Amino acid sequence: MAKLKMKKIELIAMLTDSKKIIELLQRRGVVEITENNDEELENTNVTTVVGEFEKFRNTAVQALEIIDNYAPEKASVRDLLGGKIEVEKHEFGKEAMQMEQVIGAANEIIKNQHIITDSANSASQLQIKCDMLERWKNLDVPLNFKGTSTTSVFIGTLPYLISSEELEEKLPENCSVEVISSTKDQTNVFIICSKEVYDEAGDILRKLAFAHISEPENRTPNELISAYNAEIDKLVSDSDKAKQRITELAENRYQLKFVIDYLQMRKEKYDALSDLGFTENTFVLNGYIPEKFAESLKNEIESKYTAAITFTDPSEDEDVPVLLENSKFSTPIEEITKMYAMPGKGDVDPTPIMSFFYYLFFGMMLSDAGYGLLMVIGTTIALKKFKLETTMKKTLTMFRNCGISTVFWGALFGSWFGDIVQVVARNFFNKEIGSIALWFEPLTDPVKLLLVSFGLGILHLLLGVAVAFKMTWDTGKKIDAIFDALPIYLIVLGIAPVGAGMFVTVPEQLRNIGLYMLIAGVIILVLTAGRTSKSIFGKFFGGLYALYNTATGYFGDILSYSRLLALGLATGSIASVINLIGTMPENKIVKLIVLIIVFVVGHIANLAINLLGAYVHTDRLQFVELFSKFYTGGGREFSPLTVNTKYIKFKEENSND
Amino acid sequence: MTNGLVLALIGAALAALLAGIGSAKGVSLVGEAASGVVSVDPSKFSKVLLLELLPGTQGLYGLIAAMFILIRTNVLSGNAAELSVQQGLGFLAASLPIAIVGLISGIMQGRTAAAGVSITAKKPDHNGKAIIMAAMVETYAILALLISVLMILNIGV
Repeated sequence: MAKLKMKKIELIAMLTDSKKIIELLQRRGVVEITENNDEELENTNVTTVVGEFEKFRNTAVQALEIIDNYAPEKASVRDLLGGKIEVEKHEFGKEAMQMEQVIGAANEIIKNQHIITDSANSASQLQIKCDMLERWKNLDVPLNFKGTSTTSVFIGTLPYLISSEELEEKLPENCSVEVISSTKDQTNVFIICSKEVYDEAGDILRKLAFAHISEPENRTPNELISAYNAEIDKLVSDSDKAKQRITELAENRYQLKFVIDYLQMRKEKYDALSDLGFTENTFVLNGYIPEKFAESLKNEIESKYTAAITFTDPSEDEDVPVLLENSKFSTPIEEITKMYAMPGKGDVDPTPIMSFFYYLFFGMMLSDAGYGLLMVIGTTIALKKFKLETTMKKTLTMFRNCGISTVFWGALFGSWFGDIVQVVARNFFNKEIGSIALWFEPLTDPVKLLLVSFGLGILHLLLGVAVAFKMTWDTGKKIDAIFDALPIYLIVLGIAPVGAGMFVTVPEQLRNIGLYMLIAGVIILVLTAGRTSKSIFGKFFGGLYALYNTATGYFGDILSYSRLLALGLATGSIASVINLIGTMPENKIVKLIVLIIVFVVGHIANLAINLLGAYVHTDRLQFVELFSKFYTGGGREFSPLTVNTKYIKFKEENSND
Repeated sequence: MTNGLVLALIGAALAALLAGIGSAKGVSLVGEAASGVVSVDPSKFSKVLLLELLPGTQGLYGLIAAMFILIRTNVLSGNAAELSVQQGLGFLAASLPIAIVGLISGIMQGRTAAAGVSITAKKPDHNGKAIIMAAMVETYAILALLISVLMILNIGV
């Protein structure tokens, strides 16, 4: 249990088998390949091939996004949790054969998407033109009309409001002005005048800030508007057709997902190939493999291919990747360890150490049996129903176990959706039920629960110290191990009855024993903590400094466990407030309806917020209070070459195919 | 209504008021930062939402303390207790830890969580670390709530 022992693997095989062997390793997913750095061996260049795969994969991804946009798939809980479609391996090969066709479909989808965006752009431009022409609607000559043989024409805009009479006054005689349309800050005019005064009129108009109409066309405004509208209609119908086509092509969704995963796998395979070293006829693969998989892999490969595999122990200074393995009970907590950091070289795996307390503390902070039941039911259904990724599976299992613990604590404290049992009995049956707690209700005696919290906290801390003790002991520094751990045990255990005596009555004898332990612990700590220092003063002050550190450090640590009480109180009292609000109406029927609504909405919200709180603060108690005693972290997670798919999952295959 | 009861109600109001303001400010700080991330990558919504929720708890703690005062003084059940001025001041004092610490820690936690949003944006896998850092701030709100509640529960009425 804990960190798996890693072996270095060196595999030498025939070049002709290289792809097949890599494929096999990818399916087994137990080898992390390291880059070949033997300069005498050649490397392959796979950039072009990988680039090609990426290009096709991007096309497929883009097409899938477009499909999801126009013909969205019904989002299911499965998607939310990252469940995958399960397929047989031979089916995968079959689907992969259709790749060209699928990529063709993907390209068509993207083309149609372009049609849609282009038509939308052109249509909006035409629409703007139509809007411009609206104000020339009453003009019944073409826009580029210049006049007849004896007359000339101005068509344009003045940037202010002016009536035709006013304008005519300013212009030479033989000019007639027709206002086509006008707004507060512009006047669109049609001016006709005889050829002789054309230049003169032009000069005057220029001074009046007259602007000729832009883009003169040889059609009347009305003709233009209807032509543009026809064009817009056509664009819209084009775009509709394209949308229709995309919806039709949406039947390729499954194949697209397939192709995306297939190309991803191929890409990773070729990436792996680039890490190998080659000679003319053979290749060399270096990497790490967990010891427990080593022999079976060796047998499998050597029986199928001409290959030589050797395993060696990694040397001290190597950056060996870490893979965790734990009991069924502790495995779900591995994700929490990963969130902090993988165990480094000198570390033990903290997962089995914290798992029990993790569940315990989580349950105690949420501490409502009703909420716990919801968690257990929800996660159990999800775990049964969907094929989930390992990470998600672990997380859900963790929440299920935490849920069980929550039911346990909730039952002890008599909290089922707050005090809903009592509330319903009181309001609808006129009965006072009283407490249904198996132990006691925190609200009636918070101090007792506070002491319980501190007690559990002390056990948790001492567990951490014990682990540190074992780690030092195993390195051979037995004296250090004893003098590091013993005084802390004496001090913390000694101070407990003394501290508890401030709140509750503690037997005189116990208090005295505690006092003696405390004194003994302090003396040992002061005498031994400075032992590494050379001078006598150094030893003495080192000891005092350690005493100060221990006192403040452990005092703060223990007090920090008061959150076990506080968060439990928070859940319970908000739940009670929800029930109270629900029963505010006087009329019984109204009360029932309001209660049901408030119950559902309120408790879901309360569960969500307190779930987050319990999760975060349980993590904190592990990371800050426990890990500081023995854990550093900083290891690198084992990342083997594996089938890294997003949508597809292979059914378990027998190992001799 | 006695003067003492008025003081107790002021206490309840302060707890809900100040802690609520703290949370509102904190949540909005994170929300602003989170919107920037979501505008670029909407799939990160659920992750940043977790961060945004964190400073929201102070308001709840204020609510809890306020409700405890209302329950202890029997205001909710309709026949409010005749509190002396000393008792009323007691409740007022009891509300102060969560009121003041709730206000300040809510804002501070909001700032920490808003900074954490950038972790989520750049390294979504390390979202948990951002959450833990913001949760550190919350410790003090929890401690304040604990003291407030213990005081409220133990004032003789």
